[in-house]
Amino acid sequence: MARDLAIDLGTANTLVYMKGKGIVLNEPSVIALNRQTGEVLATGREAWQMIGRTPGYIVAVRPLRGGAITDFEITERMIRLLLQRVGVSRFTRPKVVICVPSAITEVERRAVTDAARRAGAADAQLLEQPMAAAIGADLPIDEPVGNMVIDIGGGTSETAVISLGGIVALEAVRVGSFDIDAAIQSYVRREHGIAVGERTAEEVKMAIGSAEPMEDETQAEVRGRDLMTGLPKTVVLTPEEIRFAIDDVVSSIVSSVVRCLAKAPPELAQDFLVRGMYLVGGGGLLRGLAARIERETQVPVKMSNMPLEAVVLGAGHCIEHYDALKGMFMGARR
Amino acid sequence: MTAGIVVVVLFVIGAGLLLGFSRRPRQDEGMATFRRHIDALSPEARRDVMDRARRHEQERS
Repeated sequence: MARDLAIDLGTANTLVYMKGKGIVLNEPSVIALNRQTGEVLATGREAWQMIGRTPGYIVAVRPLRGGAITDFEITERMIRLLLQRVGVSRFTRPKVVICVPSAITEVERRAVTDAARRAGAADAQLLEQPMAAAIGADLPIDEPVGNMVIDIGGGTSETAVISLGGIVALEAVRVGSFDIDAAIQSYVRREHGIAVGERTAEEVKMAIGSAEPMEDETQAEVRGRDLMTGLPKTVVLTPEEIRFAIDDVVSSIVSSVVRCLAKAPPELAQDFLVRGMYLVGGGGLLRGLAARIERETQVPVKMSNMPLEAVVLGAGHCIEHYDALKGMFMGARR
Repeated sequence: MTAGIVVVVLFVIGAGLLLGFSRRPRQDEGMATFRRHIDALSPEARRDVMDRARRHEQERS
């Protein structure tokens, strides 16, 4: 008998929670394929290390963009391999709850459930990421009070107000931490004339990236390919430059939080001033982001205890209490 | 004729009562389902998952 699973199928990472066991897998959502034969060469961390460093016949790709499947067949193969790694076979078909962005279309929803069923799931139910994040962040969403959660993932940023076990207000934008990386790549190319890969851009973001000026700021050396000469070149980037480069993306995220606050009923809005908003997701780890949101909304912002795992833990809780919580799944409400 | 009308009236009243009784449990069921839903989201219900995650986090660090 297969143990039921909860999956956070993120643009950046895929996490799997097994009923009764906890988190059993946490790997980048990347797959490496042989271009000529179509064979899978690696998945997860191993495939992630190949990004931008592969010979011509290998391609390492992220099959999800903006929280949605961009290549159905590759996503299905990636899910199948990940499920195999946690013990799912054609004889043990578990029930699966998958977290998806709340703004995905009907077609995208069907693509996710079909991919999971073909990959070995007996039944696939979808759960909105902000709801899962609020459960996983241990917010008191069973009470009649306003709980606000901001989930910043690789490809989407979602803000939700939750009370009495349901979403009261929601705002989602298809902008996330990958857009921050892309903005850094674009800035370095435009202002310094060098091309850098997405992994280098991510490293720069983690090293000196911030949404607000910080006290302990340092500069970073970046190596890339000179666009004029084609030769390797090193440039020095400052934190101010990176803040300028990523400001449009950060502003877009902050604006969506403001819009969600504006949608919240006044009775719940007063709760936020006392209880604050909770930040989850890898994108929420950008330095100074909580301070920037706090400055622009005048509402306290707190970081969740386990920001990277909150979504899968919330979905895991739903799989543990499947019958009582099945009304929360996306299909159940239509 | 009169007996027929009485039978029809009794039938209608009976059917009405039956319908009323059959609806009441459904309303109760709605309340029970909502209560189960809210209880399943309580901090007590979530304790197992959260404790397991914290242990996992501690082991990893």
